Amino acid sequence: MKQRKRMLEELDADIREHIERETQDNIERGMSPEEARYAAMRKFGNVMRVKEETRRVWSFVWLEQLFEDIRFGLRLLRKNPGFTAVAMLTLALGIGANTAVFSLVYAVLLRPLPFKDPSSLIVLNETTPKVGTVSVSYPNFLDWRSQSHAFSQMAAVHSVDFNLGGVDQPENISGDAVSPNFLSMMGVRPILGRDFGASEEKAGTAPVALLSYSLWQSRFGGDSSALGKMITLDGRGFTIVGVLPANYRAPDWTDVLLPIGVWTTNNSKQAMERGDRGDMVVLGRLAPGVTFARARAEMEGIAARLAKNYPSSNDRFGVALHPLRDSFVGDMKSPILVLFGAVLFVLLIACANVANLFLVRGAGRTKEVALRMALGASSGRIICQMLIESFVLSLLGGVLGVGLAIAGNRALAQLISADMLSGATVELNGAVLLFVAGVVILAAFIFGLTPAMHSTKPDVQSELKEGGRTASGDAAQNRLRGALAIAEISLALILLVGAGLMMKSLSRLLQVDPGFRPDRVLKMGMDLRTQQYSKDPAVLNFWQQVLDRVRVLPGVETAAVGTVIPLADDHSRSDVTIEGMALPTPGNYPHPDVHVVSPEYLTTLGIPLLRGRSFTEEDNENALLAGVISAMVARRFFPNEDPIGKRFMFGHPSATNPPKWYTIVGVVGDTKLYGLANPARLEVYVPYRQKPTKAMGLLVKSGADPAALTSAIREAVHSIDKDQPIFAIVTMKELVSDSVATRRMTLVLLGLFSGLALLLGAIGIYGVISYSVAQRTHEIGIRMALGAPRGDVFRLVLGQGLKLAGIGIAIGIVAAFGLARLMSSLLYGVSAADFETFAGVAILLVLVALLACYIPARRAMRVDPIVALRYE
Amino acid sequence: MSTKEQRERIELLQGTLDLLILRTLLLGPRHGHAIAKAIEFNSEDVLQVEQGSLYPALHRLIKRGWISVEEGTSENNRRAKFYRLTPKGRRQLALETRKWDKLARAIARILRPA
Repeated sequence: MKQRKRMLEELDADIREHIERETQDNIERGMSPEEARYAAMRKFGNVMRVKEETRRVWSFVWLEQLFEDIRFGLRLLRKNPGFTAVAMLTLALGIGANTAVFSLVYAVLLRPLPFKDPSSLIVLNETTPKVGTVSVSYPNFLDWRSQSHAFSQMAAVHSVDFNLGGVDQPENISGDAVSPNFLSMMGVRPILGRDFGASEEKAGTAPVALLSYSLWQSRFGGDSSALGKMITLDGRGFTIVGVLPANYRAPDWTDVLLPIGVWTTNNSKQAMERGDRGDMVVLGRLAPGVTFARARAEMEGIAARLAKNYPSSNDRFGVALHPLRDSFVGDMKSPILVLFGAVLFVLLIACANVANLFLVRGAGRTKEVALRMALGASSGRIICQMLIESFVLSLLGGVLGVGLAIAGNRALAQLISADMLSGATVELNGAVLLFVAGVVILAAFIFGLTPAMHSTKPDVQSELKEGGRTASGDAAQNRLRGALAIAEISLALILLVGAGLMMKSLSRLLQVDPGFRPDRVLKMGMDLRTQQYSKDPAVLNFWQQVLDRVRVLPGVETAAVGTVIPLADDHSRSDVTIEGMALPTPGNYPHPDVHVVSPEYLTTLGIPLLRGRSFTEEDNENALLAGVISAMVARRFFPNEDPIGKRFMFGHPSATNPPKWYTIVGVVGDTKLYGLANPARLEVYVPYRQKPTKAMGLLVKSGADPAALTSAIREAVHSIDKDQPIFAIVTMKELVSDSVATRRMTLVLLGLFSGLALLLGAIGIYGVISYSVAQRTHEIGIRMALGAPRGDVFRLVLGQGLKLAGIGIAIGIVAAFGLARLMSSLLYGVSAADFETFAGVAILLVLVALLACYIPARRAMRVDPIVALRYE
Repeated sequence: MSTKEQRERIELLQGTLDLLILRTLLLGPRHGHAIAKAIEFNSEDVLQVEQGSLYPALHRLIKRGWISVEEGTSENNRRAKFYRLTPKGRRQLALETRKWDKLARAIARILRPA
């Protein structure tokens, strides 16, 4: 490099010297000094070029050429501000949409999970045909762990809620009781304090807890002196032994972690009961070299063996394995992939539009290109230069697009709740920017290559001639532009069909009768976890007082408590035995959701009474046990008889479970407990005074906006027990709305993108038609001079546009027919090949195409033959 | 006039100039102008090198390490840059000469079949 610098610096002197020597020689040969100098110069050749070429020997030629081309490109873009603005904005929309959606894709599907080697972490659940995936019982977990070899480690995670005490505002927090090896298996290390030890798996271990980072911050101000201090959970003291990393999530939010031994100590009966599937999942790490399929096969064998050995608890229970990533993705995977596909289409349409712009401009530049080729530029060089120009434009669009994506991501955050993302944040990070860079380059190729190749085709001679324009070149270019417009229409149609199907699904879904009236009902959760509620009368007394005090608040119409509130993601199910039924095998008992409710529950939620009576205040602990069944229970188990007066009990009758019969007093309508799209399930209702329950939801129906009652209700509850946390405060309307949140998000975004596609497609077809009208001014003038009526000209232009639209629509329909099936999991109540949607979208596109052609057609009609003919 | 010139003088093939420079320097180090003169003289003026084109070629050969450069004074006590063949350049010249001979023989056989 040093040599390069010296050689180039001395080049001038070297050349000067060379010429002087030659001059000297010439003088010696007898020329006059002037003549001699002139001859020497001539013999030497172009000094500038020599210097240029010499410099090039040392330089990275291509790099300098690149800068040259970029400068040239920028100059051209500056010279055509209109073209540049439209092209840049179009690209910015396409790239911006891609950037925003890719941030989502990355956050949900690609981001590395905060665990060691997360791909070998597996979530295990039990399954039963009655419900599907269910929790694992602790004894089953212990057997799984001891019998399996496919996993190097296994850990149980039992979620437990706590009332956090010793604070001003009582709070309900979520925790996990975990096998002591859990954190080390996940590869998570406490940032402060210690991990659990193996001995803390056994019952009787001392109550200790690890705090989440945020709880540590909020309760202890992030002070390391928190170690060894006590925290009050459910009125009991736990010693703080450590703090979790800030990004810890597995995948749900956790405030405290305790060793499973603490849980088994406090829940010894549940921990021993093989049939008690509380709220436990099992995590396992695949042993090195073991495939997912082999692990599943082994686990299925173990589950089958357990089902055979313990039929009363495990009959028909199997096992389900999922990669841990699935738990983080939730139900977001297919909507996100559909949206990602949609924005790629938008980008393609944007590229097609810009390619069209380039072609139009290229038509104006054929002379320039021909001249450069005549001067010796190779076509490769020209294509390269034009591609760099595209790249510069694409880069500008990309920068603007990233700006749009930043705003877009903010909007996305409004549309997508944190719950849907399991702690991920939708943001622009290195991976997203890398993706944007890729998109920018790809886009530059997509919209730049065709026009560039095209522009180097014209035959130099004819282009340089006067008037230079070959009919054949124009025809080829028009075909190309037509094809681009067709592609845009097809892509727009596919997106519109997708959006249309989503819209129809959502409207169908919102028309589904949930079986209850969500209007003006507020729901809040309470869980009586402290010692003072260990006896049933205290529990009943609390709920009774809450109802008494809330009912008299101004604005309250009715108030009720109950379990398994629809759409609130509660579940409490139990096998039931119906008196007189033929006893099935243990796995085949009816397994309804059990609602424990106060008398006004059914009226508060507006669940219709179909037969018999609903509960009254008389259905108390001293009265005959009473039950209400849902219509589905009545249909399934009492098809040809009146269920009123029949009896059922919870569990299977046995020596250890003497029958406690509940007499059926009424039948009510089915409700959609687990989502509007899901089928109704078996449900039974029993009075809360006959089955005291600590965790219940309070439902309040108000005359006006129910949310306005929140603080009054909170005060009423705290006047009974000031330490009782109230949580999950939400209106039933919001629950219904949240239950379709993913679909709504998909619809909103898909609608937005398809609208964008429609707009770009319309612009595309408008551009093609108006350009063609401009090109054909002469021809139209002749036609009119020969007597063609203006209406014919109008129809001619319109027909040309409709032909493009028609071909585009036809291709689009075929493609949409295939692609829509990919999103069938997102659809509800509508087929992926829904005729109405397809027809509606096709008509919409025809109308838009007509509109886009109308203006150029009017222009064509107004062509003045005299002017048009003189134009030559 | 110009057509006559074109008929008698042969334009250099790409890379041929490099070969001629190496061959010239085989006889000893020379400065730029002397190299041009030597090529013209030795080819009996058939090969007319545009003298300027010597410089990109010299720089190219330096970059490749086939020749080296040193400061010196010429016969009439003027500052000059002398170019010298390196051992690497010597090997390259041998290689290129063999290639050239082969090519020349092949073309001669085609143009003048026996």
